[in-house]
Amino acid sequence: MYSIAVQDLHKTYNGSLEPTLKGLSFAFPTGKIVGLLGPNGAGKTTTISILCGLVKAGKGSVQVLGIPQEANYRERIKRALGVVPQQIALFPQLTAFENLEYFGNLYGFKGPALKTQILALLEQFGLEKAAHKETGKFSGGMKRRTNIIAAILHRPRLLILDEPTAGVDVQSRSMILQFLRDYNRSEGVSILYTSHLLEEAQHLCEDVVIMDDGRQVVQGNPAALINALPACRNLEDVFLHFTGSKLRD
Amino acid sequence: MLRLFATIRKEYRLLFRDKMGLGLLFLMPVVLITVMALIQDTPFKDYQELKFDILTVDNDHGRLGRYIREGLDHSGQFRIVDSLQGQPVTQEQAKALVNRGDYKISIIIPQGATGAIVSNANKITNDLSRRMGLPFMAPVRLRNDSLNVVIYFDPAAKKAFKSAIHQALDNFLTQVETDLLIERIQQQLKRKGAAQQDSLDIQLKAIGLQEQSTVPGGGVDVISNSVQHNVPAWSIFAMFFIVIPIAGNMIREREDGSLLRMKLIPGSYLAILAGKMFFFVCICVVQFYLMMLVGIYLLPLLALPKLEMGHQYLPTLIIAACIGLAATAYGILIGTLFKTPNQALNFGAISIVILSAIGGIWIPLEVMPAHMQQIGRLSPLSWGLDAINNIYLRNGGMGQVWKQIGLLLGFAGTLLAIAGAVEKRRMN
Ligand SMILES: Nc1ncnc2c1ncn2[C@@H]1O[C@H](COP(=O)(O)OP(=O)(O)OP(=O)(O)O)[C@@H](O)[C@H]1O
Ligand SMILES: [Mg+2]
Repeated sequence: MYSIAVQDLHKTYNGSLEPTLKGLSFAFPTGKIVGLLGPNGAGKTTTISILCGLVKAGKGSVQVLGIPQEANYRERIKRALGVVPQQIALFPQLTAFENLEYFGNLYGFKGPALKTQILALLEQFGLEKAAHKETGKFSGGMKRRTNIIAAILHRPRLLILDEPTAGVDVQSRSMILQFLRDYNRSEGVSILYTSHLLEEAQHLCEDVVIMDDGRQVVQGNPAALINALPACRNLEDVFLHFTGSKLRD
Repeated sequence: MLRLFATIRKEYRLLFRDKMGLGLLFLMPVVLITVMALIQDTPFKDYQELKFDILTVDNDHGRLGRYIREGLDHSGQFRIVDSLQGQPVTQEQAKALVNRGDYKISIIIPQGATGAIVSNANKITNDLSRRMGLPFMAPVRLRNDSLNVVIYFDPAAKKAFKSAIHQALDNFLTQVETDLLIERIQQQLKRKGAAQQDSLDIQLKAIGLQEQSTVPGGGVDVISNSVQHNVPAWSIFAMFFIVIPIAGNMIREREDGSLLRMKLIPGSYLAILAGKMFFFVCICVVQFYLMMLVGIYLLPLLALPKLEMGHQYLPTLIIAACIGLAATAYGILIGTLFKTPNQALNFGAISIVILSAIGGIWIPLEVMPAHMQQIGRLSPLSWGLDAINNIYLRNGGMGQVWKQIGLLLGFAGTLLAIAGAVEKRRMN
């Protein structure tokens, strides 16, 4: 079964002349860690927004975890999906615990079970001491880690992360990457993740999808892609090979 | 239900963490009410409550002069000034002083005015006597120049004020004329036979005027004074300012990404919105009662009348909640439409000032021109004020306020629907 299957996806934002997605297609099976890579403005965040139902697609089809497109499929997708947005999505005036408690309540969890779970996750992410500090006063790394916890409170089957390691220090980053590997291995959760750090993606992902200008340009195992192109020593070379070195803005 | 309660608790935490914002939310309306009640007190006073100095020049020194002075004095509205620095006022002096605006009115009673009235009464009596075959003839002046009591008004005096004075003086003139006439007739009849004397008490006032309260039950009879208008009116105004924190709250949630997180969680956003609205409506209701307490306990300490809230406690609470709901919905719409807190603040604040000005908050709708009244009736603030007036002044119950409740609820529903449609469009 595919965890995500996108077929000929098109999207033009309201009031925008240029389409953002121009027939994007990719698919990958469950249980994998997959990187969605591409230059700025390639359409990675747009694709993720469509996957999690925040934005309506124009043309094309989207399949998530084989959930049929019935009446309440959007709600079912939301339940099965954990999303870590590119943006920090927390109330800065609330403490980490209060944030997570509120989001847990919105998922329908409550009481001592929720409290225990939140405290355990905070500890796992090295935030137990900061549990009762306002997240607005957190460092970038602490915010990113709390942002991830908020996405896994409900034990999703598929985790989508939009640049989870942007702007964090080496320690926080290696903690986050280690967590993703463990989470994928121990819980069997599929992971789709975007990043501009290609070395990181090369080591973490079993599969990468490189997209540019709203289309997929190549998909495959990082090592296999590097091997297939004699001139390329690493994933960054492969990326540049397919997307060119022209500036995107 | 869990979503609703969790959201109420979250909003509570957010607000109570911002101690300064919280304090202002309740302190500013109290200051507003107090200041507005104080400065808006004077223009609200009726002419009855104000005393005017009337410069009186009495060249007659007769009964008319005395009647006019006594009558004006008795009404309690006027103070007679007939001498300046120990000297009697002259007509020229009076004219100049009124023209300068030092005095609002001056009355000049001409020489021989009483004589002219007496002569006129004598003439009527003589006429009657002759027809009845009675011999006596009272003296009548031959020349019949028409004499006038002259009034000078301050050029800035209002029309209503002028006509009120005209009417009062006209009354005094008529009274003196009838008094003298009856007196003459009595004298003439007395001459005919003393035995009939006891039946000659002619009672002039056969019918009197009496003002009665229209308030059902008649128990409370609140006079519309400055406090009765200003406290409810400015309370509604202050309650509507809840749109600023609400719009700010919505825009911040969109900017800091927490709205995104809420949308990523399955379940209806309506429950979250309902929790948010419930919380802010409660804040509005607390604000409302806080301001009523100011009207009842603080304003009397500042020499203002005490606020009377009527006896309909449940309808009052419902009205307060409906006003809060309309204001909250307006805040949600503004928070949805505008992208930055600055835009929302500008639009929100100015639009509320406009809606309040046309809605009869600053000055009552009744004193506005007819076409402005029609526009004013479209303002949700005027619906709220109408409903509260119906309870406070007319002692009405649910029966007298259901229409306004319906309008406020309809307003809230419409704005929320628009906000929902706008938010939905954003998905594209
Ligand atoms: N809400 C929106 N309305 C209009 N245009 C948008 C909107 N969101 C994104 N775009 C445009 O769509 C294009 C793709 O944006 P998107 O955020 O999906 O790219 P991305 O691959 O995630 O880029 P980055 O690496 O910078 O995060 C950009 O040109 C952007 O300007
Ligand atoms: Mg992006």
